[in-house]
Amino acid sequence: MNSKEKNKRFWLSLDDLKNSLSFAKAKENEFAEGMTDNFNPEDMPSHSRRKFLALAGASAAFAATACTNYRDKGEIIPYNKKPDDLTIGTASYYASTCTGCSNGCGILIKTREGRPIKIDGNPDHPVNKGKICAAGQANILNLYDPERLKEPHSGANGKFKFDNWKNIDNKINVALNNASANNKEIAIITHSVLSPTQKKLFDDFKIKYPTTKIYSYELFDDRTRQSAWKQCYGESEFPVINWGDANVILSLESDILGKEGNFVEQIRLFAAKRNVDDAKNFNRLYVAEGGMSLTGMNSDHRLRIKPDAQFEFVMCLLNEILNVRKAGTISFGPLAKSKIEQYLLNEFAQKEKLSMSVLNSLVNDLISNKGKSIIYAGDILAEKVHVAVNLLNEVFGNNTLYNKERSSVKHLDLSANEEIEQLIGSMYSGNVGVVIHFDTNPVYHFAPDYGYSTALNKVPVVVTMCEHENETSLKSHFALPVHHNFESWGDFQTRTGLYSLQQPVIAPLYNTRQKESVLLHWLSGSVENYSEDGYHQYLMKNWEQYIYPQLSVASDFRTFWFAALNDGVVNYKSVVQGIGLFNYNKIENLIYSYWQPAYQHGKSNFTSPVISVVTAESDASKKSEFSESLGLVLMLTGNYTIGDGRFANNGWLQELPHPVSKVTWDNYAAISLNTSKQLNVKIGDNVDINANGKKMTIPVMIQPGMADNLVSIELGYGRKSAGTVGSNVGFDGIQFLSKKNSSAKLLKDFTLSKGSGKYKFASTQEHHAINEPEVMDYHKKRHIVQEGTVAAFIKNPDFFRESKPKAEDISIMNRVQYKGTKWAMAIDLNKCVGCGICVTACNVENNVPVVGKDQVMVGREMHWIRIDRYYSDSPVEPETSNQPILCMHCDDAPCENVCPVVATNHSPDGLNQMVYNRCVGTRYCSNNCPYKVRRFNFYNFRNHFEDGYYHKDSLSLMHNPEVTVRSRGVMEKCTFCVQRIMEARQEAIKNGVPLKGTDVKTACQEACPADAITFGDAHEKDSQIDYIRNHKLGYHVLEELNIKPNVTYIARLRNKATEVKS
Amino acid sequence: MSVDYSQELSVIEGRPSFADITNVISKPLETKINRKYYIALSISVALLIWGAFCLGMTFLYGTGLWGNNNPVGWAFDIVNFVFWVGIGHAGTLISAILFLFRQKWRTGIARFSEGMTIFAVMTAGLFPLIHVGRPWLDAWLFPYPNQNSLWVNFTSPLLWDVFAVSTYFTVSFIFWYVGLIPDFASLRDRTVKKFKKVIYSIASLGWRHSNRHWHHYEMVYLILAGFATPLVLSVHTIVSFDFAVSILPGWHTTIFPPYFVAGAVFSGFAMVQNVLIIVRKVFNYEHIITLDTLERMNKIIIVTGSMVGYAYGMEFFIAWYSGNPIEVYTFVNRAFGDYAWAYWTMVSCNVLFPQLFWIKKIRRSIPIMFVLGVLVNVGMWFERFVIIVTSLSRDYLPSSWGFYTPTLWDTGILIGSFGFFFTWLLIFIKTMPVVSIAEVKAVITGAQPTHHGDEK
Repeated sequence: MNSKEKNKRFWLSLDDLKNSLSFAKAKENEFAEGMTDNFNPEDMPSHSRRKFLALAGASAAFAATACTNYRDKGEIIPYNKKPDDLTIGTASYYASTCTGCSNGCGILIKTREGRPIKIDGNPDHPVNKGKICAAGQANILNLYDPERLKEPHSGANGKFKFDNWKNIDNKINVALNNASANNKEIAIITHSVLSPTQKKLFDDFKIKYPTTKIYSYELFDDRTRQSAWKQCYGESEFPVINWGDANVILSLESDILGKEGNFVEQIRLFAAKRNVDDAKNFNRLYVAEGGMSLTGMNSDHRLRIKPDAQFEFVMCLLNEILNVRKAGTISFGPLAKSKIEQYLLNEFAQKEKLSMSVLNSLVNDLISNKGKSIIYAGDILAEKVHVAVNLLNEVFGNNTLYNKERSSVKHLDLSANEEIEQLIGSMYSGNVGVVIHFDTNPVYHFAPDYGYSTALNKVPVVVTMCEHENETSLKSHFALPVHHNFESWGDFQTRTGLYSLQQPVIAPLYNTRQKESVLLHWLSGSVENYSEDGYHQYLMKNWEQYIYPQLSVASDFRTFWFAALNDGVVNYKSVVQGIGLFNYNKIENLIYSYWQPAYQHGKSNFTSPVISVVTAESDASKKSEFSESLGLVLMLTGNYTIGDGRFANNGWLQELPHPVSKVTWDNYAAISLNTSKQLNVKIGDNVDINANGKKMTIPVMIQPGMADNLVSIELGYGRKSAGTVGSNVGFDGIQFLSKKNSSAKLLKDFTLSKGSGKYKFASTQEHHAINEPEVMDYHKKRHIVQEGTVAAFIKNPDFFRESKPKAEDISIMNRVQYKGTKWAMAIDLNKCVGCGICVTACNVENNVPVVGKDQVMVGREMHWIRIDRYYSDSPVEPETSNQPILCMHCDDAPCENVCPVVATNHSPDGLNQMVYNRCVGTRYCSNNCPYKVRRFNFYNFRNHFEDGYYHKDSLSLMHNPEVTVRSRGVMEKCTFCVQRIMEARQEAIKNGVPLKGTDVKTACQEACPADAITFGDAHEKDSQIDYIRNHKLGYHVLEELNIKPNVTYIARLRNKATEVKS
Repeated sequence: MSVDYSQELSVIEGRPSFADITNVISKPLETKINRKYYIALSISVALLIWGAFCLGMTFLYGTGLWGNNNPVGWAFDIVNFVFWVGIGHAGTLISAILFLFRQKWRTGIARFSEGMTIFAVMTAGLFPLIHVGRPWLDAWLFPYPNQNSLWVNFTSPLLWDVFAVSTYFTVSFIFWYVGLIPDFASLRDRTVKKFKKVIYSIASLGWRHSNRHWHHYEMVYLILAGFATPLVLSVHTIVSFDFAVSILPGWHTTIFPPYFVAGAVFSGFAMVQNVLIIVRKVFNYEHIITLDTLERMNKIIIVTGSMVGYAYGMEFFIAWYSGNPIEVYTFVNRAFGDYAWAYWTMVSCNVLFPQLFWIKKIRRSIPIMFVLGVLVNVGMWFERFVIIVTSLSRDYLPSSWGFYTPTLWDTGILIGSFGFFFTWLLIFIKTMPVVSIAEVKAVITGAQPTHHGDEK
């Protein structure tokens, strides 16, 4: 080493080289200024270097040994290129539109790591405002249903084989061209068209293939309402009703809170007028119905009237008001008047055994609330009832409640029965070349006397687009799998002044195509270059060209489009078409023409005849047979859960208890107690029904509150090819429909007789109230459901507290003092209508398994929240109460002290928590729970149900990743959505702000369309939950046990008319 | 009939010699196994296998195979548990409490009933282990130090059960074994077979019948008797806490501890009486297990049966007296509800039929007492069924009421439990002396040393 090298100067920077002063100064300190401020050896961890090495070595060793037993659950694929808008572990929400029925509600889809896991209503959607029905919630299961059609199939006679899209497109293109060349009809059969772009697509299709005809149908439609509006106002579009402004509602055989119209919106508006802090403004709900509906359960006064007597009822009301009370402003010509005058309310009441005091109070209420009441007839009722109801509403000036800006929108008329018949006629005569089922199932839905299924055999090419194999696809030559709701693009307009958009939130799971894309592709004429994005482009173009210019938006189209997709809805000021003027003259003539000459003061075919039972002994051949002459009516209504049968393969919906009867996995023939006695049947006994040449054996359900001589069967059940879950569940009432009257689902021409054999229902509640009169009213005697009347509350707001039994707060143990946050819930029984949406929301949020009919039958349903239904008073005309019951998270929870392994214990913030991993499954906690809200995994239910149906791969994508999927042998129960609490807490900590009770919304609360559920921190002063816990109407269930439950109930006030004697 | 009350009647009839006693008691152990025994054993093992199959299927698929459901979380599983623990009560009562009270008639039946206790408690002990949802985690019910820092919940009556039953089993087992030591020594001395000799030698722990040995033995036996006595009362008391500590109407009752203990003794005696009737006949022990002894047992059955009957009545009275309508309904529902048949089976078998024992002829009639003993056990099984199932099926909220129907698997496991019990019992009677040789010798007439010589 030479000296030069030896003296080689190393320099750190130019400053150093220059030997500047500042550098010399800086060099004195090893660390830059401020660098060591936070350095203090005292504060450093006390581990010695040796210890550190030991720990490091040990952790390496542990890691190495622990990992040897790592259970490889398959490949984990990380994001190589992380999508921009995605953070792992954080949910993204996308606005879209639900296509589960023709309401087209806005939805918000929660996705995690790119997979949709939860559906809620879109809060920005003006109709459903953040709420969605049970089917909408459970639709997620349809997306991941392992039995979705995954590949296109072709074949015939029910025998199918895989085919590829290209082949099929080729064949169909040929068929379409042939058909249009030979002037053969191309029939597209769709449900109601709600989408302007879809409508345009059909129009384009018609241009390319001029022989195309579009048919649209619904199993449950409102055609009678439409035609009545056309009669009365000249237009068949009818306005939306401002339910929230109605003080008095009279619902006629219409389940406005359960299944008719946009019931999610109706529940919200109805419940908003049930605010106990504004008790003077409670609305009053009168229900006149034959079947026992959810709306009837929530009525203040209920009149049992058979659907065929509704017209007479409305006319009696009209006469009472116009001619007896002289309260109307209009008068009719002498001809109509002379007829109307013969409808006497008191005679009607006598005949139908109705309480005159209820009827009087109804009339008084309607008169004193002119312009603030609404009379609403059900879809099932005949056109003349709707006309009479429209007239009655006009008489009262209730048209003020018709929304002037929003009315129904019709893109395409539903096909009349005659049109369908014509189509089938031309199918038989060989004039139809191609039938395309546009995600419809007419083989199942059409009345059997159309002979649709056989007619299909005469059609050379039958194409069915469907998500699942169904009755129609089995009769087709091509079964084409289509995208699910959440994989599709679309737009919807269900009301004026409003568009909503649908966008895909997940790439197609299978080799499916969007049904509109399929048509679009056929339109293009070439089989090559199918573009998945085709319909998206088409949609955008349609908007850009036609819709966007109408909206007069300030921003450019692209900005507008992305904003619209973000919001999911586009509101615009609609050009009010206005409701036409009520055509009095026409209606006067109509009313006259409705007149039935046979009607004479209550002794006519309106009379309910007394059924005489021919007993088996007297005549074995007749065997207690009823017939039409005895006044029996068969009513075919909608169901509460599975829509028109399209949700049949959805276990969550099949297992959701019927809101009235609490029966799951079934439908039945509902009859009244009196009718059951005359027929000599008990719950579950089979009856034979013969109608329209079809015979069906169906079990009966004795439904308290049903009108006598009425049989009600819900449609949508009894599907033959719906998949493992949905096939052969319940009984198919559609076979009783006839092409002659398929929209009026009321039959008089049928026979009913006692059948042989018994059937077992899977009900989540025993039917004690009917079987054991001695236990009736126990829910009231035990102070489980506590109720009062509005009048009593207004008179003395403390009446409830004064009458309430006082619990003694004594304990021999030292009470745990809860400091800080303490979670609590409150449920307002005034608002809860018992729809069961919360149950489904909870199922989806918390990965609650489907257990199957056999397990519900033995009482092992797993729902964490349930709606208890109680009847009181007489089983013939009961008063009904609903009560959602979930874990009460008691302060002194009786479940906790009995668990031998401390698997259930209390968190410092007041949650009764379950440690699944620690649970050995003694079930003692469940035995000791007075509310019986704990649910035990008697099996690995996912594996148990139908040979592991719910263990299939696709379904594991559906689970909420924040919630443990419980296995066999552990207890589970409501957690107050602890995963959401934790998320909110993390968020609060991250943002450095205190956690507030309102930061957390439980799944049930979020889903409740009535906003009956409040959740929050009981210790937060002046919070809503704190207010309710100290409310004058607040109480706890089984308060006297002194276990300090944390779910407060607000006692239900019934808005009874004061003049009605109970 | 004139009875000489100045003389104590011998509990062993016919003045057998010491050698006769040893011979007759050792006989079953020294003769070849006969056909009858094989038939009995094969029936019992068949039941056991059936039960084991049902249990295996339960392990495979889950407790869902049983009829248990949401309101009725416990059913046959815990009914069987309480039933078998109850059966296990007679043994220690006879050997410990009656020993302390110097009841000489107990000597003929003590060994056998102790054996039954052991087997009954073994059977009972299975149920808490198998009734859980995840039986492979049963170890978590025991407080053992572990790295998960997990500990058991000492406020749970189920945990008390674990301690109560395991303590009872341990003490009963030791008591029984200590009593067996001199007999093992006798057998060791008699046997000529090498194999048996080794086993008996080991089992007899070097017993040489020395005066010192006897001295220690008597002392240990006395101490153990004193130790076991409170356990007789405590085990079923604690088992009753499983119910009494809960808040369920029909379970939450302060009368449960004495009521359960009385019921346990009641059923235990009935079971011992039943089995002994067969044993004394088959092995010709009629002079050792005399009719007088059986009659005395029947008297205890009347006493405990009446106590149980009193408890039944008192439960109804308290339900009414409490003024708690939910409690009242629970009891009305027991007597007249869905499970009324079970309730009335229980009342007639436990309260009404045993009253026939007031009649001396019936008390001394072997066939009748056998039938009554069977009925008592049927009744006691139903008592547990009534308490557990009817109370659970209808509790506070009418909405959650449910109905329990047992499945084939439930009954299979019940049958299997009898198979388990009787298999052990059959092995016991072929491998160990079912009557205490040493103790019986001490109570035969002339066994006690006297200064006056033999008076007769």
